Order: sequence, then structure tokens, then C-alpha cells
Amino acid sequence: MKRVLSNKWSIAVFVLPTVLFFTYIVIVPIFKTLYYSLLNEIQAKVGDQSHFVGLENYIKMFTVGRRNTFPGAVVNSLLYAALSIFVQLPFSMFIALLLAGGVKGESAYRNTFFVPVVISSVVVSLLWQRIYKGMLPQAFEALNWTIPKNGFLGNKDTKIWFSFLPSLWQYVGYHMLLMYGALKSIPQDVLEAAKVDGAAGAKLAFRIQIPMIKPMLKVCLSFSLIGSFKLFDTPWILLERSNMDLPALSMYVEMFSNHKYSYASAQAMFIVVECLVFTVILNWLFREQKEGGKELKRG
Amino acid sequence: MKKKLSVGKILAQIFLVIWLVVCLFPLYWMFTMSLKDTNEIFGGNVVGLPTQWLWSNYASAWGSGGKVSTYLLNSVIDTFATLLLTSTFGFMSAYGLLRMRWKGQKVVFTYLLMGMMIPMHAALYPLTEILLTLTKTNWALIIPYTAFNIPITVLILSGFMSNIPYEMEEAACIDGSGIYRTAFTIILPMMVPALITAAIFVFLQVWNELLLATLFTTTPVRTLTVGIQQMSGQYQTDYGSMGAGLVIATLPTLVLYMCMSGQVQKSLVAGAVKG
Repeated sequence: MKRVLSNKWSIAVFVLPTVLFFTYIVIVPIFKTLYYSLLNEIQAKVGDQSHFVGLENYIKMFTVGRRNTFPGAVVNSLLYAALSIFVQLPFSMFIALLLAGGVKGESAYRNTFFVPVVISSVVVSLLWQRIYKGMLPQAFEALNWTIPKNGFLGNKDTKIWFSFLPSLWQYVGYHMLLMYGALKSIPQDVLEAAKVDGAAGAKLAFRIQIPMIKPMLKVCLSFSLIGSFKLFDTPWILLERSNMDLPALSMYVEMFSNHKYSYASAQAMFIVVECLVFTVILNWLFREQKEGGKELKRG
Repeated sequence: MKKKLSVGKILAQIFLVIWLVVCLFPLYWMFTMSLKDTNEIFGGNVVGLPTQWLWSNYASAWGSGGKVSTYLLNSVIDTFATLLLTSTFGFMSAYGLLRMRWKGQKVVFTYLLMGMMIPMHAALYPLTEILLTLTKTNWALIIPYTAFNIPITVLILSGFMSNIPYEMEEAACIDGSGIYRTAFTIILPMMVPALITAAIFVFLQVWNELLLATLFTTTPVRTLTVGIQQMSGQYQTDYGSMGAGLVIATLPTLVLYMCMSGQVQKSLVAGAVKG
């Protein structure tokens, strides 16, 4: 038995193809990106080694100047993250609490709220494009409200906000479902006990339910944060083609329109590092809380 | 007390119904748009039902004006090839990593899962070097889609696989069944629910993917996401047929969701809880 399960040949047959394929397509390219990000432009283009410029591309990325749009792009992605965390998540939580508390039509609502999640973000973006260009202006006109100058997607100051809205809208259902599932798995007797002690409504939610689903909140938070750094589809479709208002867009344009491969590689690496750093921070934050939770249980 | 409670319940219902409308409105908008002509879409009848139901929009999106039939075929090919490959790779490596005993299995497992934390963006340019020669074929997307979805597939399968008792292998071994037969005729059938869970997740990822599809496809192998997005960029867009294209692109996922909403939700939760 043990011999069969430790047979080196069969292990290789099972595991090796996947590992090699995965390494070649996912891991090697990442190290190549890192390598390109340390070269100067010409070297990266012709594939000539030998000339490292060190962190020059990274320094250039964050040198504040009128023509450097990358710091602004990062700020925009953080704005999206903030919107997602402080508006989208609480809103999803509110819906999840309502549904988990048992309302009429609970599962019908849940299933319908999730519909936008399964639709392609391309379709969602194109629909919202028509809403911004067709329906909203008409509605605003009818109500005598002022439309932003150059339209919702043309105004320099506001367009970024409008480009965020579709994906914020789309993923409410996702967060709602994650939270709802966690809320539903809280043991009934805990809720009963809390209710006997007089906890209801907001008190029950803030004191009992939300603290108890912290692990799921971590999942939602990391989904929001990482999603905001990688955000591409919606703003790419909604805003004009050459815009560089978010890190992923900036990287794309620098790479495939401006052909600045090494500089764009540095931006790509920045996105990776940003994702990793925030993952580590979240893990650290939530590890602390877990220990606190243990103490509470003991007490 | 009782009266106050019911007021709260009514308010909750009103709120939920409003959000329900907000969730479904874009879909309604899409279906009606696909049946209107461009004048109606821009002019007097933006929101209402179409005055004339122009099913011809579908014909023009499908064949002449757009090439939605080609896009759809390509999306289907790419998606199913990817699913076949992720399931095969995923099952085999999960089996080797979880059921067999060898030094370093944990390290390799972690190595594969690490892939989930890495955004595709980081590999784009080196990937173009590998895939550039393939952009006239469907492989240009099937290859990266498979590679990037292996980690999540392995993760979903592994959770399920470690719950299968080892007695299965022992009994099979005593009966004289070799390791491959054990894996593929005894364990694999038991893994079908997990394979479906993983497959639905990967299906939605691949069907809806835009970034790689934009980069690595040429006209004959365009997928729906790129194709439709390009239809909207044309100088004189025929919005009616674009709407029809949107409907055609969305219908497969919507039908899947309506048929098995519970399963789809389960898959996406499993895919999110990858922390």
C-alpha cells in the first residue's frame, strides 16, 4: 500500500505536468517581468541583457511631475478601495443582515441580487455606458438637474467616479452572498441567547453577528482591495481608450501603446507588490482579532 | 410592539424591492435595447418597451453586421477546452499532492496555491513573447486561462479530496488495482461534485475575461467579450445589434445561473474564500 502511494514514477505522472506547465506560464513570466523592470527601455525591447538600471524605473514611477500620471492612478485605485470598503461593503452587509434575519422572499431576493455577479463585466460596462450616455442625461433634463459638463464620462473631475459605479454595483451581490452565508452559519442558540438578553436589531448586528463573521469580512476586504488594484475592464470600456487613470490601465497603455516595456513592467510589479502587501496587512490585522476572540470565549 | 415590528418589515420589503429593480434594470434595458432601432435608443424611447420588436437585430449581430456567431463559437471552444484541461490537470495534481505520500508535497502544494495571489497583469508582457505566435489559434487563450485557473481548481478539489477516507485506496490496493485505476475509476467519480464546483467558477472567469482576450486574439479567434466591446467602438455603431450581441453573450451564463443558481453561488463562494 505505502509502496504504491510513494511510487516516484506515478507521483511524477500525476504532479509534474501541472507543475511544469504552471511554472512556465505563470511563474517564469513574473520573474521575467521583474527582470525587465530593472533594465532600461532599449535593452528590454531587443532582449539584450547586461545593462541594469536598478530601481530607476521604480523611482521614475513615483517622481511627481506633471507628465507622470502613475501616482494619480494609484490614488484613484485607493479611492476605489475606500469606496468599496466604506460604502459597498456596509451596504452589502445591510442587505445580508436583512435577508439572514428572515424576510419574506429571502431566497428569491438573494438569488436575484446575485444576478449581476454572473454577467460579464464587459456587458455590464457597455450597459452602463448606454445608461450614462442615453438614459441619465434624459432623466436629468426632465428633472432640471445639471448634467456634468461634457457628460458623465467626459468630465475630467467626475468621470472616474462614474467609471467606478458599475463594478461597485455589480459586486454588491457577491459580498452580500459571502456575508449572508457566514451569518447563516452562526449557531441558532447563540442568536437565541442574545435575544433573551435583549439584543435585537442594530445591537444584535454590531455586538454579535458582525463580530462573529470576521473571517468572512477579511475575505470581503481582501476581495475589495485586490480588486481595486487590478480593476481594468470597466474603466477601460467606459473611459476613453488612452486613459491611464488606474494602475492596471496605466500599465496596459505604457506597455502596449507606448511600448515602454521596462517602465510598464515596473508598474506591473508594483501592482503585484501592492496586492501582496495588503494581503499581509489584512492577515496581520485579523490574526490579532482572532486571539482576542479566543480570550472572549474563555471569559 | 407588534405594530412597530411590521412597519420595520414593510420598510425592509420596500428597500429590498427597490434594490431588486436596480439589480434587474440593466438586464431589462439590455433586452429591450436589443429589439429597438438606433433612433429609438437615442431618441424618444430610451427606457420604454420597443415600439416594434426588431428581431432582425439578432440576425444582423449574428451574421452580417457583427460576427457574434464566430465570437460565440470561439468563446465556447476556449471555455470548454480550458475546463477540460483545468479539470484534468487539477484532478491529477490534486491526487498526487493529497493522496500520495512523498517528501515535499506540502511545498509543491503551497507553490501552486501561491499562484492565486498573483494577478495576471504581472505576466502580461512575457506572456506575449510566448503566445504571440499562437494568436491566430484558440491556444493563445486556452493556455494562459488553464495555467491561471489551475491553482483555484486544485484548491477547491483538495478541500473535497482530503475528506475521502484512505480506506478507499487500501481496499483498491488489496483488490489488486493499480494506482492509476484507483485514481481514475474510484476516486474520480467521487470527485464529480467538487469538479463541477471548480468548473463553474472557472467557466465564469474564462467566459467573462477581457484583458488577455484583447491582447492575444486576432479576428478569426475573437471571443465574445472582445468582439462585443469592439462592436461598440465602431464609428457608426448599430446599437440595436450591439444589444443583441450583449444578450447572446449573456444568455449562456444567465441560463446556467437560472438552472442551477444554488450551485453557481456555491462555486463563487468557494472561489472567493481562497484567502
